[in-house]
Amino acid sequence: MAPSAIEEAVIASKMPPPKSYPPPKIFPAKESKFEKTIAIQRDGREKALARANENPVIVIDNGSFNVRAGWSFEDNPRFSIPPIMSKFRDRKAGKTYSFAGNDCYVDANSRSHIRNAFEQGSGVITNWDAMEHVLDYIFIKLGFNDIDGSVDWPIVMTEAVANFTYVRKTMSETLFECYGVPSVAYGIDALFSYRHNKGNTGLVVSSSHTSTHVIPVYNQRPLLAQATRLNWGGWHSAEYLLKLLKLKYPAFVNKLNSSQAEHMLRDYCYLSADYDNELRGYLDWTGLEDRDIVVQYPYTEEVVVQKSEEELARIAERKKESGRRLQEQAAKLRLEKLMKKEEELEYYKNLQTRIQNATNKKDVRRMLDAGEMKDEAALEKTINALDKAVRKAQTKDVGGDPEEDQQQPVFDLLDVPDDQLDEAGLKAKRQQRLLKSNHDARARAKAGKEAEKARIEEAKRLDEERREKDLEGWLEDKRRARAEALQKMKERDRLKQDLGNRKSLASQSRMKTIANLASDNPTKKRRRGGDDDTFGADDDDWGVYRTIAIGDNSDDEHEEEDLMASLKTCEQDLLLYDPGFTYEDTYEAQLDWSKSMLHAFTRGPRPFDPASAAELNQLHLNVERIRVPEVLFQPSIAGVDQAGLVEMAGDIVNQRLSGAIAGADRDAFLRDIFLTGGNTLFKNFEQRLRDGLTPLLPADTPLKVRRAQNAQLDAWRGAAAWSGSSAWKAATITRAEYLEKGSEYLKEHDLGNPVSTV
Amino acid sequence: MAAPTEAQLAHQKLLDELDLHSVHKTFRASSWRPNHRRNKNIKTILMDASRKEASSSVATPQDVSGSVTPMPTLAAPDSKDDGLSTSGSSTPANGADALPNNQNPNLSQASRSLSKLVLEKTLRQGAAASATGASTAPSVTYTNIESAPSLAHTRHYCDATGLPAPYLDPKTRLRYHDREVFSFIRSLPQGVAEQYLEARGAHVVLK
Repeated sequence: MAPSAIEEAVIASKMPPPKSYPPPKIFPAKESKFEKTIAIQRDGREKALARANENPVIVIDNGSFNVRAGWSFEDNPRFSIPPIMSKFRDRKAGKTYSFAGNDCYVDANSRSHIRNAFEQGSGVITNWDAMEHVLDYIFIKLGFNDIDGSVDWPIVMTEAVANFTYVRKTMSETLFECYGVPSVAYGIDALFSYRHNKGNTGLVVSSSHTSTHVIPVYNQRPLLAQATRLNWGGWHSAEYLLKLLKLKYPAFVNKLNSSQAEHMLRDYCYLSADYDNELRGYLDWTGLEDRDIVVQYPYTEEVVVQKSEEELARIAERKKESGRRLQEQAAKLRLEKLMKKEEELEYYKNLQTRIQNATNKKDVRRMLDAGEMKDEAALEKTINALDKAVRKAQTKDVGGDPEEDQQQPVFDLLDVPDDQLDEAGLKAKRQQRLLKSNHDARARAKAGKEAEKARIEEAKRLDEERREKDLEGWLEDKRRARAEALQKMKERDRLKQDLGNRKSLASQSRMKTIANLASDNPTKKRRRGGDDDTFGADDDDWGVYRTIAIGDNSDDEHEEEDLMASLKTCEQDLLLYDPGFTYEDTYEAQLDWSKSMLHAFTRGPRPFDPASAAELNQLHLNVERIRVPEVLFQPSIAGVDQAGLVEMAGDIVNQRLSGAIAGADRDAFLRDIFLTGGNTLFKNFEQRLRDGLTPLLPADTPLKVRRAQNAQLDAWRGAAAWSGSSAWKAATITRAEYLEKGSEYLKEHDLGNPVSTV
Repeated sequence: MAAPTEAQLAHQKLLDELDLHSVHKTFRASSWRPNHRRNKNIKTILMDASRKEASSSVATPQDVSGSVTPMPTLAAPDSKDDGLSTSGSSTPANGADALPNNQNPNLSQASRSLSKLVLEKTLRQGAAASATGASTAPSVTYTNIESAPSLAHTRHYCDATGLPAPYLDPKTRLRYHDREVFSFIRSLPQGVAEQYLEARGAHVVLK
């Protein structure tokens, strides 16, 4: 039934009011890129020369995220660059280019050739060509290239905790033999940072780009045997975030890279103060607006040219004009044809009268030949045909329905017995019979159509009558019909799914049916015992072909449409007459995005418009914001089979320290838990560590967590302050010592690694 | 070929300016010829080290005279400041003296085998108590400072959304949060479920 205007109004009143949403906060996607050239800085060397008595030193914090280099008498490193190089040959220019640090990001070609000095996800240098490039870059920028000779200043360099002897040896070889430095000292970045922040006894928690260390320090001396490393740092977090985002937006895979993930991690991720509780409600609609971060990737908007009113009118006019011209041409053509036919008709009619008037058979023959006619009957037929065509053409031009006012054809010969007819008569009778059956069939179809119309009218009337008499029963029927439609849809979906699985019952029975159809003597028939194949006797037999057809066939779609349509009418009726049935109950409303948690996860708290290029290029960060940093505390989330940070620290404090130092005051360590490294910059880091450690310790244990003044730069600053001191003098390896004692030679000191076999 | 545009020329100029390859580096020793096989990854380094340890008689770094010189300052203030050392005699003055006095000096270099290493360790227990952190315990290496597997109970989170996951789909082995996520993971194309598992490190690795 077509809903009337009133019914539509009723339905509309039950629909929820259209919501409007404030524009979302959108952040652009960021990635590392080349910003500007770092100038060659000669002044540093000159200053150093002027202060030669203060033991100026070149300090290099050789980190896996950034290498920071500068002069020890300054407060800050001169520059900080990623430890990467890029070398490629430009075929067109016939020239080899190589870049280091941020310069590698200068264009797409150089970006694609980037190599990292460190092994992925570890603090171990494995690519020495890249390392040399980075060192070259540092020394050039520090102004050593235009002086003759080597890098004639002592070096202080940081290295990983428990660095491999091989790595240190290679570094010493490079520094002494390639660059000719007079001396070098190695130390651990986290300890330099702790020294800079005036730490004495405490637990140093250093979470950096490639790893997280917990190092107990007692009276400024690191207890490295008790130090522990968790193989998780900023790099791992970024990779994990990248992996999650690729899974979340499978269509977006090629646009994402790890540099962008790194920026997202830094800008939008934070540690949850209470992970499980916050997580549970993270995708709730209230407040999702604030928790959901929208990152916009660049996209090209499809330009839809807005045509002005005038232009539209002109286009419409042009269309109409051409249509009219076509119509005119057609009409003219028709008219010409008509005229020609009329002429022909005139001619044949003339001929006919002349033949009738003719007395002589020979004349008749001659006239017929002239008119290219076989006999008089043929002439008669031609005339009739022409007459009909002319009449039809005329009515068409006038606009009447040719079917309607067609006169009843004559069937006079049908009742005449055959033996009373001659040859021509019999032929005409046959023709009339054919005509008649045709005519009758058309009439029958018409009557059938009328009857169907009447039946639908009747059914509708009965339906309405029933509704008026027994509303409850009627509604009950509708509800049942709706439930059936839903059930059918569900079954169809299930079947579709089952057919995808080779082992499911549905596929197996389908295979059986196919085998049955293909075999010459179907098993079914034999079992029944009947020899005759009755396939096709029942129209439903053909349904077997529908059951074996899977995939995209139109039949399925039709069925789907039908189900949807019948569901829709049922729901319309219910909306109209059932006061308990609201818009919220309809199938459509239940499929709505606002009901879907997955929608909140992937598309945030707003409807998603797949046609909008802007929205297609948006990423939504929500659960990831706390999920990724949480790995540090629960490594099992990312499948790392190691204890988390809290467990590590608790183990050191509770178990290992008491064994390592007899009588050491455990509380002294707990009074100074020190956070350093870029990966500790997440919001709530101190709180999480404190909250995690408290339950592992006796009540009233003093617990103080502090952050480094600058988690990223303090290692360099600490190293700079240490250089030139007497401790440095004792720890540094001079060229003479290197030459005498070999490249593996190392002096142990309070800020460095112990000597190791590996 | 079209003539290079202004921007392309400028970019080419920038490339030439940034290029390190063409810069003649006077500070580098012209005689520097690095070993071509110096780029070793962690696995190779570890393998080489264990091979060296197995074949070489030089087992402990403390015995390689000259290769190590623990600073005197390392131990001296230790015994003074904290007063924790159990015996003053064990305070090492240098690498060779770090070993306890009762070690037989007659042991030749050649007899230093693994068994001696064990003996040495037991003998050095006294020295270990001197709490000179770094130099006491078995030498600290990159591999042995890794934190051990967790003993804590692991919580389960939904592989797709990250929310708490009380359920496990036996077919894909994915953990999921609710019915909606379940229908989502069941509609995943082939292989994607495995990628979800990989993010959690629970995927099947064929060797």
